[in-house]
Amino acid sequence: MSGELLQLTSVTKSFGAVRALKGVSFSLKAGEIHALLGENGAGKSTLIKIITGAHQPDSGRIEIDGRDTGALSPRIARELGIACIYQQPALFPDLSVAENIGLRLSQANVFSRVDWNARRQQAHRLLENIGAEISPEAEIRSLSMPQQQLVEIACALGAGARIVIMDEPTASLTQKETHLLFAIARELRKRGVGMIYISHRLEEIFQLADRVTVLRDGESIGTNRVDEMNEAALIKLMVGRDVSAIYPPAENEPGETVFSLKNFSCERGGVRDVSLDVRAGEIVGLAGLVGAGRTELARAIFGITPADSGEMLLNGQRIEIHSPRDAVAQGIAYVPEDRRRHGVILEMPIAQNMTMAIHRRFFPGTWLRFGAEKNLALEFIRDLSIKASGPDAPASSLSGGNQQKVALARWLAAKPKVLVLDEPTQGVDVGAKSEIHRIIRSLAKNGLAVLMISSDLPEIIGMSDRIAVMRSGTITSMLPAKSEAHTVMAAALGQKAAGE
Amino acid sequence: MRKYFRELSVTGALTLLLLALAIFAPSFYSPQPLLSLAANASVSLVVACGMALVIIAREIDISVGSMFAVCSVCAGLLAAMHWPLAAVIAATILIGAIFGGFNGGLVAGLGLPSIVVTLATMVTWREGLQWLRQGQFVNLPDGVQWFGLSQKSGQWTLVIGALVILVLMALMMKHLSAGRYIYAVGSDAEVARLAGIPPKLTVFLVFVGIGALVGLAAIMNMVQSPQVDPQSGTGMELKVIAAVVVGGVAISGGRGNLWGVFVGLLLLVCVGPALIHLHIEAYWEKAIQGVIILLAVVAEGLRR
Amino acid sequence: MNTHKPAWKNVLLAHETILLVVLIAEWIFFDAIGRNFGTYDNTCDILRHSCEIGLLALAMTPVILTGGIDLSVGSLLGLCAILFGKFWRDAHMPIPEAAACTLAVGALAGGVNASLITLLNLPPLIVTLGTFSLFRGLAEAITHGVDTFTDFPSSFLFLGQERWLGIPAQAPVFIGALIFFWWLVHFSTFGRSYRAIGFAPEGTRYAGIPVGRRVAMTYVLAGIVSAIAAIIYTARLGQAKADAGNGYELYAITAVVLGGTSIFGGIGSVYGTLLGVAAIAVLQSGIVHALQPSEMAGMLTGALLILALTASVLPKMISRLRQRKSALRLAKQNT
Repeated sequence: MSGELLQLTSVTKSFGAVRALKGVSFSLKAGEIHALLGENGAGKSTLIKIITGAHQPDSGRIEIDGRDTGALSPRIARELGIACIYQQPALFPDLSVAENIGLRLSQANVFSRVDWNARRQQAHRLLENIGAEISPEAEIRSLSMPQQQLVEIACALGAGARIVIMDEPTASLTQKETHLLFAIARELRKRGVGMIYISHRLEEIFQLADRVTVLRDGESIGTNRVDEMNEAALIKLMVGRDVSAIYPPAENEPGETVFSLKNFSCERGGVRDVSLDVRAGEIVGLAGLVGAGRTELARAIFGITPADSGEMLLNGQRIEIHSPRDAVAQGIAYVPEDRRRHGVILEMPIAQNMTMAIHRRFFPGTWLRFGAEKNLALEFIRDLSIKASGPDAPASSLSGGNQQKVALARWLAAKPKVLVLDEPTQGVDVGAKSEIHRIIRSLAKNGLAVLMISSDLPEIIGMSDRIAVMRSGTITSMLPAKSEAHTVMAAALGQKAAGE
Repeated sequence: MRKYFRELSVTGALTLLLLALAIFAPSFYSPQPLLSLAANASVSLVVACGMALVIIAREIDISVGSMFAVCSVCAGLLAAMHWPLAAVIAATILIGAIFGGFNGGLVAGLGLPSIVVTLATMVTWREGLQWLRQGQFVNLPDGVQWFGLSQKSGQWTLVIGALVILVLMALMMKHLSAGRYIYAVGSDAEVARLAGIPPKLTVFLVFVGIGALVGLAAIMNMVQSPQVDPQSGTGMELKVIAAVVVGGVAISGGRGNLWGVFVGLLLLVCVGPALIHLHIEAYWEKAIQGVIILLAVVAEGLRR
Repeated sequence: MNTHKPAWKNVLLAHETILLVVLIAEWIFFDAIGRNFGTYDNTCDILRHSCEIGLLALAMTPVILTGGIDLSVGSLLGLCAILFGKFWRDAHMPIPEAAACTLAVGALAGGVNASLITLLNLPPLIVTLGTFSLFRGLAEAITHGVDTFTDFPSSFLFLGQERWLGIPAQAPVFIGALIFFWWLVHFSTFGRSYRAIGFAPEGTRYAGIPVGRRVAMTYVLAGIVSAIAAIIYTARLGQAKADAGNGYELYAITAVVLGGTSIFGGIGSVYGTLLGVAAIAVLQSGIVHALQPSEMAGMLTGALLILALTASVLPKMISRLRQRKSALRLAKQNT
């Protein structure tokens, strides 16, 4: 009988030919926050799905409080006290907080009467328990994302969860909201709940977790106490090789300033007074914690949520962008963060995706030219090494990395002057990742001004010629290329790094 | 307050209309014509209650008019065969439920879009009825009209009956788990499934429900005249959907309540008689109803 | 995961091919059992009677491709018809001028739908439900419910009732519209954006396409086409009344969905719409010539629509069943 709350031993899981987990062992103590770190495709989500009972392992053992759980199903896992909180809360947007909690926690008979008082009290009790100041009457749709996650946590605890898994919970939270979530997590820890915290944001691991396990290519590389680790060591464990060696080097000096922002602000997006220059042939990395306002800045530049004050200059000329159409006409391209919803149209063929941004130029008189379109697609498929069955294959048939290449191709076809990339290798497998990095570097070499948003610290450090760090909607520091990871992180956190 | 903004604004509009009538056309408030209007509206109210559930569940049913006609004719024929009235009522409700179940089976079972399914069944049942009856009325035997009571008692029975159904259904939607499941499924069917609520079964039963209510409404309509007109129910679907939407039920599902639907129906139903009593040409009725629908949907859009 | 065939494209082709087969089968069947069915005269009649609904169905196709719907086209037909009559009779405009004004009204009405749907982001179903009521109501109010416009000059009635160079005079109008919409949906960048908007409105915006303007265009076009259909309707019947076009919107939608256009948007073709209109029109005529009650045509149309829908979801259901079977088999193997 070990002292562990949750113990996985030698868990293996394959999907067809893909071996997602190869003999992974993992343990979780009560009253611990255990971070699970790893690149995309390392096996994190498969491991979680096995713990929550959504998948069955091919081999291995799962024990809770030292007892073998046997085969898990989602229902059994719930009964054993395992709860998982995803990025997208599984709540009913039109119903109240109390009703959401009530529907999740009760297995009432269809013909039973709803006791609204009891529901309200239950919700109130659960929310108070975790210190969440949310009214039980509030409609879920009116709550912010972290508030919704708090409701989910309340549900999980209400269901008697002792093992709470948080899967990238801070992906859409602001900095303040992240701190709130951390406070709640620490409170839960005090009460003996064991938490598995999945993230690829190193700064959060250091702030919150007690232990960290690194997964790489389906194997557990090591479990260490967080206070015995530093970022460089962690990164090395995650990636397995030296950071600087992976990224293609800059080969040329940057040219004239192509793109400038002066006191650029967008109230709605929380962007305040941003000033930034990007030169031809240069890659400016935009670093910062989630919620710092980077995507909001990109969206303001591109015209999705236009700016309300400040200036944008292209080759020295002042330009006004009120819509994505304006931005494209001016030569600004944006490869968005949400690849599947905004980057490509999944149902449409690759070729049509690629010409989606250049209708005016490529199809004069609005007549479609199928032959020319196909040739364009074939060219890009060749140049970007896109693995597809043909230009007519729907984008949905491609892997994440290849979809990202199609998204990139769409904007390359537009021959932009400025390219804004938002998390260009998120959810992309390791092989395609380095290909995309090479493509980006060669684009810069050809004179493109590139602004690259990334939450992947090694990527930002490895790729950027200069690093702009954003915090609370504005740029707080400009760091040179190849800065130290902890310098960047310190700037992102708003602290002074050691030695400054 | 803000939560019930839509329902309150409709109530406000209705109040204004009624006040305007009290001042400018007090002849509107004569008891007997009002009672007849109410009895007539009871029929639509019953169907509107069912339609509210369908739309809250994020579906739609445009076949109610045709179902209504078919149920009316069936009811008339059964009555003409001297079945006891209670049996006619039960049978007609059952027939309505079966038709509703057919729609529900296609929508829930096969996952077909409800607007197209109910479009198809609307055309099929209407044409089928026309073929079988060739527009022939069904003459009802004595004792059927007004349930065998006097006109006034019959009308009161209808009005009270419709109100009872309204209250019962409103209570069900608010206080019974089954009712809340409909809101849940309409808000997010996938989340509902994860929470253990069966979306397909819920949608199926909602369609059965509206079918049964249409059957009941057909009876309520039948007893108001000595004959059954197979053309009855024409345009009912749009009238009822309009009432539901004006009453604050969102077409995107998951929200709205029956009190708003009640007020919405009253508002739309009063437009016609109000025009008459205000000496405005009755032909403006549809145009004004159209404007009311547009105002309601704009209000809904602004709320979001 | 690489699929060799673009799945969506294949399904589309299959649907229309089957519909074509159904259409041909209908023709052969009715020709065999009906009197005077397969004659040239009757074919002209079919064309003549289905012209207005055909026009509405053509205009409805881009609307549905973007994931929207327009329930108001039938009512707008009525409104345009009586306004056309009023322009000619009461405002004493010559026919061409009256027609031009009617088209303007149609465009304006379509613009009302367009602004509410795109500027305020309102659901098309309810907006066009409102205008469905409003347009018909305006028609009834303007004519006081009784006014009818008749006694049009024979040169005008020629359009609806006579033949020009051997084909019904309204056919060139329909063919013109057919060519326009075929080009619009299949060969122009507009059509491409309609599909993209139907599949992913937000994603299309991120590609720099002006979603609001594209969608607005579809409703304005629908308004203009309703006006054209109203003029042809008036020429065909020789009179304009407020109830013109009653129920036409539903037949137009039926034809479009029958033709394989998905009500959710993105998937569809003008070719399919044309086949859908033809299938319904031939069915109606065939039934009459087979001396069967005309209602049977309606019933069969409804049944055909359900069959068509079911056929479109069958491939997905079959593959889901196959997946479940293989998952069960794998689970059994692992225990």
